Amino acid sequence: MLLAIDTSAGTSTAVFDGEKLLGFVEYEDPFGHAENIGNAIAEVLAKAGISAGEVTAVAIGRGPAPYTGLRVGMAAGTSFATALGLPMYSVMNLDAVAFAHGKAKILVSSDAKRKELFVATYESGERIFGPAVLKPEELSKFEGFEQVDGKCNAELIGRYSLWAEASGVDLSDSSALYLRSPDVAPSAGKRVTG
Amino acid sequence: MQFLELGKEHLTTVMDLEQKLFPEDAWSATSMASELDASHTYYLGVFDPELIGYAGLSTSAGSFSSDIQTIGIALESRGQGLGRKLMQQLIAKARELGSEQLMLEVRADNQAAISLYLDLGFVQIDVRKRYYQPAGVDALIMRLPIKQPIVLGIESTCDETGVGIVQGNRLLANALHSSMDEHSKYGGVVPEVAARAHLEAIRPTLEKALAEAKLSMSDIDAIAVANGPGLAGALMVGIGAAKGLALAHNKPLYAVNHLVGHVGADVLERGAVELPTIALLVSGGHTSLLLVRHLLNDVELLGETIDDAAGEAFDKVARVLGLPYPGGPQIDRLAADGEVTIRFPRGLTLPKDMEKHRYDFSFSGLKTAVARHVEKAQDAGEDFSKADVAASFREAVVDVLLTKAINACKDFGVNRLLLGGGVVANARLREEAQKRCDANGIELRIPRFQLCTDNGAMIAALGSQLVMAGRQPSGLGFGSESTLEVTQVQTP
Repeated sequence: MLLAIDTSAGTSTAVFDGEKLLGFVEYEDPFGHAENIGNAIAEVLAKAGISAGEVTAVAIGRGPAPYTGLRVGMAAGTSFATALGLPMYSVMNLDAVAFAHGKAKILVSSDAKRKELFVATYESGERIFGPAVLKPEELSKFEGFEQVDGKCNAELIGRYSLWAEASGVDLSDSSALYLRSPDVAPSAGKRVTG
Repeated sequence: MQFLELGKEHLTTVMDLEQKLFPEDAWSATSMASELDASHTYYLGVFDPELIGYAGLSTSAGSFSSDIQTIGIALESRGQGLGRKLMQQLIAKARELGSEQLMLEVRADNQAAISLYLDLGFVQIDVRKRYYQPAGVDALIMRLPIKQPIVLGIESTCDETGVGIVQGNRLLANALHSSMDEHSKYGGVVPEVAARAHLEAIRPTLEKALAEAKLSMSDIDAIAVANGPGLAGALMVGIGAAKGLALAHNKPLYAVNHLVGHVGADVLERGAVELPTIALLVSGGHTSLLLVRHLLNDVELLGETIDDAAGEAFDKVARVLGLPYPGGPQIDRLAADGEVTIRFPRGLTLPKDMEKHRYDFSFSGLKTAVARHVEKAQDAGEDFSKADVAASFREAVVDVLLTKAINACKDFGVNRLLLGGGVVANARLREEAQKRCDANGIELRIPRFQLCTDNGAMIAALGSQLVMAGRQPSGLGFGSESTLEVTQVQTP
């Protein structure tokens, strides 16, 4: 039984028994991650008709995505897996979205705020560029790619991790995938007298 | 029929019944008066409408043990289960106070009482020969073990990731990961840096706490998490982690107030927070003066900083003096070699300010005054003593903090002052606090430093108080509350 958790956009959770989706819950609110994460997990377990103790692995989305919300799902997945001693699969969100498009030649992008996009491109099921932060006008250099909305959810995270785990892809890096450094410059200190 | 807590105002009534019940060996009125009045005892009476029974419990702080002092039911009211009811309430009280056992002595010939105690779970552990005189009857010593809840607490309000574990009022683990070093190049806490560090630290800190307590997650009875006040992005990591933990093992979850947690930390030092108390919480994020009458029900914010927190002022002045972050220890070290030669301003202490802001603080003017002093000397090419500036600045901060805290103690007639928060590490603050408290007949409490700075154990301790008091867990839907009021000890 796999529990997948993703807070890259809204707050969503999914439970899989093998390849079979037993339950999916999604809260659309893009700001209510901390509020919704508990109910999203409790409700998806109830929908799937299983108890927490029956979960055998946890999958989480590790971004790129707006990080304040993303970290809520990552923290919940990490502690859930730690508490039960379960393996945790950490999935790059754009990979999970691309996986649903098979071997198509695609450019997956999602909102990175500040008028920028998180971008990755795929061909024949392989990532060939990214993830990177780009300005919308920079996308024109990628010719011949079908543009795909990178909005992700726990079902996509779960499906990708099931395939990746079976295919020997390494999903063990459980840190958030940051593409920008924290938004600050060291302070020089300024004079108070003119 | 009514159960009421007894106080010294009930002395005459209690003594009447005491003398009737124990004609041979009744307590003296003096003993009874001090029992009813003492802060470490809890006496309960049952009235119908006259007093028909009473029982007393004694709990010395820090012993994790309570004693049944006495129990008596009027002859004509026996056989109605009143003794059992009184005992059950005293057991509940002992549990709430964090005791891990309840002891009593009973006459070996009092078969009715012995069977009641056995039925309530007491076990005979010893006999005292001919303990009851003049009859020469043995006393059986009986003990009821009380299993206190094991609570795991998560703290992530600022730059410290803390996971603490307590059982009742006993500290089992206090694991901490600080991101302070990562903030040093920025000269202050950067919220995004702090939030990133929390996520990375959550697993290792959790594992460290469990290893320290020699427990596994299945041993934990409840989870507590600080949901405010603090940095939203940082709080959200702790909340996510706490909800994941609680759901993994289907444990009750308590969302608790970080600032009240600082006050609650003292239960881990001496088994209880003695109340009422004034609490002065001083850190890089807070400068708050609280009046705590009851840890769970009655916490009042008397005042707080209207601009910078005291710890922040230390950081800013350290920067003015060319010292690294965090500024507190740097200034403390430098000031040790200096003298208080400059009278820097004490914010909000002028008569007109004291009317409106008697218990509020302001440190931004002080920081500016220090910067102006330093810049003036530097511009004039004068040689000046950084150590003297540090000592004078520190003195101004300490003076205003303690003046207002002691005022609060006097104004409210509360002769206890509890310090908390990272700035308590400041040697001069501790020394001067002791001096002024001694001069004013105020008892000063300063928990050990690891319990003063932000930590998970204090959150666990406050959660444990809620569990022991029988409070309902929080729902799963709470979020981060950056500006959570101190009056909200638990978020439902």
